[in-house]
Amino acid sequence: MISFEHVAKRYPGGVQALSDVTFRVNGGEMVFITGHSGAGKSTLLKLIALLERPSRGQVLFDGRNVGKLARRQIPYLRRRIGVIFQDHRLLSDKRVFDNVALPLMIAGLPFAEIQRRVRAALDKVGLLDKEKLYPPMLSGGEQQRVGIARAIIGRPPVVLADEPTGNLDPGLSAEIMNYFLRLNETGVTVLIASHDLELIRSLRRRVLVLAHGQIIDDRPARARRDSAAGQGPLEPDQGALW
Amino acid sequence: MVKTRNLSSGREVSGGFAAVRAWSRRHAFSLLSSLGTIARHPLASLMTFGVLAFALALPLALHVALTNVERLGQHWERLDTLSVFLHTDVGEEDVDRISSRLSTWTQILAVDPISPQQGMSELSQQLGLLDAENLLTENPLPWVLEITPAVGFQRDTLLARLEAEAAVSTVIVDLQWLERLDAMTEVLSRLVSLLAVLLALGVAVIIGNTIRLDIQNRSEEIEVMALVGATPAFIRRPFLYMGLWYGLIGGVLAWLLVAAALLALDEPFRALSRTYAESAGLLHPGQDILALVVGGSGLFGLIGSWLVVGQHLRRIDP
Ligand SMILES: Nc1ncnc2c1ncn2[C@@H]1O[C@H](COP(=O)(O)OP(=O)(O)OP(=O)(O)O)[C@@H](O)[C@H]1O
Ligand SMILES: [Mg+2]
Repeated sequence: MISFEHVAKRYPGGVQALSDVTFRVNGGEMVFITGHSGAGKSTLLKLIALLERPSRGQVLFDGRNVGKLARRQIPYLRRRIGVIFQDHRLLSDKRVFDNVALPLMIAGLPFAEIQRRVRAALDKVGLLDKEKLYPPMLSGGEQQRVGIARAIIGRPPVVLADEPTGNLDPGLSAEIMNYFLRLNETGVTVLIASHDLELIRSLRRRVLVLAHGQIIDDRPARARRDSAAGQGPLEPDQGALW
Repeated sequence: MVKTRNLSSGREVSGGFAAVRAWSRRHAFSLLSSLGTIARHPLASLMTFGVLAFALALPLALHVALTNVERLGQHWERLDTLSVFLHTDVGEEDVDRISSRLSTWTQILAVDPISPQQGMSELSQQLGLLDAENLLTENPLPWVLEITPAVGFQRDTLLARLEAEAAVSTVIVDLQWLERLDAMTEVLSRLVSLLAVLLALGVAVIIGNTIRLDIQNRSEEIEVMALVGATPAFIRRPFLYMGLWYGLIGGVLAWLLVAAALLALDEPFRALSRTYAESAGLLHPGQDILALVVGGSGLFGLIGSWLVVGQHLRRIDP
């Protein structure tokens, strides 16, 4: 699904964010990316969605070199990748509802369906009662969840999340991670950059460890998580939403 | 995963009809979003509309003024006559004799004698002196022959022949100022065309600049739209609509301004035209002119925003 081949990224300022990164993520996998602040986690995710272009090496998405994508193809690549940004990237003068609906408006879906899907997604992240508010009226964690709802609303095959639980309390963090797990169970490939080592360890998924722009560890997923522990079975309508 | 993908893509591009519907929905979104932007910043929008309206009202008002002056000029052309003043001692029978003789001349189409009494009442009406006739014990006016020359008359020879008549005191010709008026309206109509071209460009610049500021204010939004997969065309569209709105609404406001001015001027103008024994009101701009103003300003708004948006999307390059 996604593969990096000797990718390096040097920003215009001269910072070498990634120096020689090679890895592969298969379709349907869930991978955590961790590492110290400034290690290059965000940069790595941005290269996948072509928010930045690599300085060297190749980033392949679905077997295609995204660096070679024609300019007018880029929007269609991005529609297949839901991105949750570390700094939310919400539109402060648009209501929560419109923020979440944006990808569907762009796709030109009928309004009734947009409304239904946005409500369902907001319900999932526990913000249904806030749909008429503007992002600056929300707490950091709530804004984060609006970002999650927007990223998944278009049902992309790949979701990239940059510190999706950075502003959440432990209870909410676990809940959001559970959403990602369920999302992954429906076949969506999920990449999550996170500092929350304890949470990551408890989820037993594959972990890529970055340090100074290089992968220093690639820990494979451990034995399948006991799905009976801690969470109930999937409800049918939840499965349909994701 | 395959299932999820089919679900979403299947809804978005299943067949031409659905694609057209999606396309029209995207347009509706852009349209509403552009109107929303205008509504969200009422003061700024109002000021832009005001500037546009004044800019467009100027050539439109000039055009309207010109058409009205031209029509008045047509009334004045009836004055395209020679006024032959006879000596004060020429009496009515002599006048009849002279008029019938003059009307046989080939250069003369008609002779219309005006008695001193007629002349006095006309004069007092024009000057607003109601009872001038009664005030003056003796009418000082002579008989006047209003002569309408035949088409293609030789002004100088006719004048010479008239002046040679014994009964004639003076001949008054006032044609040159009509020619001047014609030349003047010609100059003015050129001016209106020039002004229209300049201000059409002005409209494009004003709207382009407004859109440029708007793009700067919304560069974050543009970036986010690009991040979630909006095509450049989709990003550009609300701004194009906005340019169109600015142009159209500015044009309509300009028309309203001119219409209000015409309404205010209508009564005095009627009073003026009554002095020409006419009671026509002011001519309003024709529908073709209004369509030209409103449509043209919409078009130039579109062009202005097109140029600016293209420039900026390339510069922001998300
Ligand atoms: N747009 C940019 N221009 C220049 N340098 C940048 C840019 N973005 C990131 N960098 C630099 O690249 C390096 C890696 O940044 P990155 O954001 O990928 O780190 P990170 O692992 O996500 O850190 P954190 O955990 O703090 O989010 C940092 O040293 C940063 O200063
Ligand atoms: Mg980061």
